[in-house]
Amino acid sequence: MSEPLCFMMGLFKAVIPNDRQYSRRHLWLQESGPGRYRVGFTAYSVRLLQDVYFLEWSIDPETVVRDQQEIGEIESAKAVSSMFPPGAGKVLSFNPQLLNDPSGINAQNYGSGWLYEFEPAANLLSAEEYVEFLNSAWQDAQRTIKGQVNES
Amino acid sequence: MAVSKVTVVISQGQGRNPVRRQLEEDIATMLLTEPGVDVSLVPHLYDMSHDHTGLLFLRSVPGNLIVLSWLYDRAARWTLDRTGVRGHEGLSLLKSAEEDAEDEDENDVVAKNGIGSVNVPNRRVYAIDLRCSAKAEDFIREVRRIAGENTVQTVELMSWIGGTPKPEQLQRYLQPERMLEARRAFDSGHATLEDKAVLPEDTGRRWYPVIDYSRCTNCMECIDFCLFGVYGVDALDRILVEQQDSCKKGCPACSRVCPENAIIFPQHKTPAIAGAQGEVGGLKIDLSKLFGGDSGESAIDMAVKERDRELILDGREAVGTSVGIKQKVRDEIDQLIADLDALEF
Repeated sequence: MSEPLCFMMGLFKAVIPNDRQYSRRHLWLQESGPGRYRVGFTAYSVRLLQDVYFLEWSIDPETVVRDQQEIGEIESAKAVSSMFPPGAGKVLSFNPQLLNDPSGINAQNYGSGWLYEFEPAANLLSAEEYVEFLNSAWQDAQRTIKGQVNES
Repeated sequence: MAVSKVTVVISQGQGRNPVRRQLEEDIATMLLTEPGVDVSLVPHLYDMSHDHTGLLFLRSVPGNLIVLSWLYDRAARWTLDRTGVRGHEGLSLLKSAEEDAEDEDENDVVAKNGIGSVNVPNRRVYAIDLRCSAKAEDFIREVRRIAGENTVQTVELMSWIGGTPKPEQLQRYLQPERMLEARRAFDSGHATLEDKAVLPEDTGRRWYPVIDYSRCTNCMECIDFCLFGVYGVDALDRILVEQQDSCKKGCPACSRVCPENAIIFPQHKTPAIAGAQGEVGGLKIDLSKLFGGDSGESAIDMAVKERDRELILDGREAVGTSVGIKQKVRDEIDQLIADLDALEF
């Protein structure tokens, strides 16, 4: 395996391993069986969220979802967000370890802190393509975050 | 025995955020020794079911009441109203600067339009947002100020101890020190059976609208718009949230169509929907847009989309804008879009 890529969020270095694929929703996907992918938050997402306190799914396992469908909620020390799938596909099962204690997302976001297993129906990004996407979207992302901070 | 007392009830945060837990504990501990003040802890106000002992306790509190919660004061006040914990609105000075600036406008609106609450007893209920400050001392100072403001009022202490809810059910709320101790044991994973017995029953996260009757004009837009049977009317033909558990988790559509912004979803991420008057500092950032949500639509567009989504999930037909939206509103939207188009962004 080659060296992981990284993306600089200001001074913070978000590591983007290239042993897996990605989605524009800031999630990674790694094949765990035929047509079956584990999905988790990238270092970029975890950095924005920081300490996660709450995670709840609003759909059942084995649910077919469309792109941008809300499938749950997450809350951290710094932020709240709805949860969205990496794209259209089918959510197969949730990581049981996170159901009682979501802090695994912070401890091992690329490992045991995976979120759910998923059968994607759309194309995925390579690590290079994801970093490219991060580069192009960073200005907008900062504006989105700072816009909210200034309003409050 | 007549006593002059103010009761402070801390509505605990959802989840076990250690920072929030600590602030709750600091405030409770400091108030334990405060003369003229009773302090107690209950689970999160919004999540308690109608017959939860925490709500029975709240309903049994006589006299002036201060409720500290992780909710906008408006959301807390009308959630209390809905559960039958009523009183005249006590004004807290503990607000963020932005909120102060808008206060006068708010009061004007209230005086003009709202149908108001009913059966309001002669006492004050103060709702204070725990997000106003990170320092327990600020809350203690405000509690003292309120206690000083209300020294004249007297209540019969014994009248509520003997009431209908069984005293033993409510005993735990009268022993805040013991409850805090049990909570610490629970958080560290060492709770004994005795500890668990003094903690309130578990609550899950709930989702339903709360009506602010100081703004609500009884226009019935919400009952026309919601197709899930959440709303109803009472014997006086006043709108009410009748079937709160029919409400669709995450859907705030009725709040968006309410012309008076009187429908609060206390757990929604958007401050205006969650009951913010101004903005409270230290609010959480909403990352939904980055993580895949869409945005940039009008409130009615969003409401129609949210409602259609829930209808389809229920196996029903989407209705778009054909049901429950006044023609006037639709015309206004068309005009707005035309105006925007004319600007040629």
